[in-house]
Amino acid sequence: MGGMHGFGPVQTEPDEPVFQAAWEGRVLALQARTRGRWYHLDEFRNAIERMPAARYLDASYYERWLTALETLMVEKGVITRDELATGHATAPAPQPPPRPADDRPPLRPRFRIGDRVVTRNAHPRGHTRMPRYVRGRHGAVRTVNGPFLLPDTNAHSRSRDWEPVYAVEFWVRELWGLDSDDCVCVDLWESYLEAET
Amino acid sequence: MIDREVAGSLPRKNGELVFESPWESRAFGMAVVMNEKGAYQWEEFRDRLIERVGRRAQEGTSSSEPPTHYYEDWLSAFESLLVARGMIEPEELAARVKEYQELRRDPVF
Amino acid sequence: MTEQRSHQHDRDHDHHPEPPSEVEARALALESLLREKGLISGEEIDRIVSAYEHDIGPMIGAAVVARAWVDPEYRQRLLAEPAAAVAELNPGAPNATNLAVVPDTPEVHNLVVCTLCSCYPWAVLGLPPSWYKSAAYRSRAVSEPREVLKEFGLALPESVRVNVWDSSSDLRYMILPERPAGTEGWSEPELAAIVTRDCMIGVALPQVPAAVRS
Repeated sequence: MGGMHGFGPVQTEPDEPVFQAAWEGRVLALQARTRGRWYHLDEFRNAIERMPAARYLDASYYERWLTALETLMVEKGVITRDELATGHATAPAPQPPPRPADDRPPLRPRFRIGDRVVTRNAHPRGHTRMPRYVRGRHGAVRTVNGPFLLPDTNAHSRSRDWEPVYAVEFWVRELWGLDSDDCVCVDLWESYLEAET
Repeated sequence: MIDREVAGSLPRKNGELVFESPWESRAFGMAVVMNEKGAYQWEEFRDRLIERVGRRAQEGTSSSEPPTHYYEDWLSAFESLLVARGMIEPEELAARVKEYQELRRDPVF
Repeated sequence: MTEQRSHQHDRDHDHHPEPPSEVEARALALESLLREKGLISGEEIDRIVSAYEHDIGPMIGAAVVARAWVDPEYRQRLLAEPAAAVAELNPGAPNATNLAVVPDTPEVHNLVVCTLCSCYPWAVLGLPPSWYKSAAYRSRAVSEPREVLKEFGLALPESVRVNVWDSSSDLRYMILPERPAGTEGWSEPELAAIVTRDCMIGVALPQVPAAVRS
């Protein structure tokens, strides 16, 4: 994160809040470093929400962040309550879990280049990335890619389903009834497709 | 920041203005930076952009060329994602918007 | 540190400043709130905007195409591992993750579109032009590609097939046009100079200037 002001006063322009004390800047920096590695933003927000109401109301903005950080680091096993209390580490910190991108599984495609496929009309999650013009259409696999995360219609969080993505070739003759050998390739997630029978 | 008169005289590598107005560039920049910081994945933002673009196509409001609504949709997608992630509260946003509209806040940072 | 941000309404002349439009006010509100919460800084935004206004643009893709034209092994690497090949020529630039390069052949002319929104290979072409994002292009590029190309001044013979690529997934497509005749012995910068953004989207072909041809 740019502008990591951890030490000493910060020069800012009018209207922008200054860190009241150097420790606030360090909390910000800590959060920036640990977020995404040890916990997701949702968990951070949740940790703030779990603060006892009295404590929450008394705390300043950065005090809430610090409390949330303390809670999360203890829950994730990075530090113990004793270490927090004394300020001394008694054991090395464990390794953070792999970043979400690191858990991309190997590509195990169901279809191969040249396979004839047909796009599904109905799908449990809703085809958020299937353009209407290829719905229920027949095509052939041109390339095999990914895996990529399957887009989710649930607004809250992206489901972590990795799927191969195929560039599927459709003839414009079939799509639009044109007298032409032109084609359109559309990238489609595996669960959007069925083998042509 | 470069206003339009000045920008018109600069060589533009893409052959045309990248942003029509400063607010577009800020909307663009914010969405990219927040993604880079890990607030959300790019495709999550894109899901929302697609939704808005699609809605406009259905409503038939996308007929104006050039597409003046593109960055409006972009900003709206970004805003909804921030709210969904709990980074911005709708009330505080509404209050802040009003401050700017009523000239109670200086638009120069 | 004071940031000066020039502003659509020239404040030097303004005794009655105009209120910002609704969308301007929303952008201002979002930025000011995010900055206050320490989630973003103005400099970070400035940096990205500046990068896309000045440094990241089609000259990156043009250099890649020129290299692929003169170096067959680079071309192979580019088609097999596009991000790595682009990084070879631009070590400092943002990674072209999920870039896919589609080569034109004498039989097939390729064209890129994103019918769902506006996806575009930013890392090699910068930000897309307005027409690329328009409803007209997004719908007609897949339903009547030849007519669209004609409107761009590109009339293809019937013997050439058009292959449109709709960037509906995480992949971002860039076209590798064919090297035109009349460019034998050209240096890479000379070649890159005729590879325009439109060539790498697929709505144009690299042109050898008439003066050079004769």
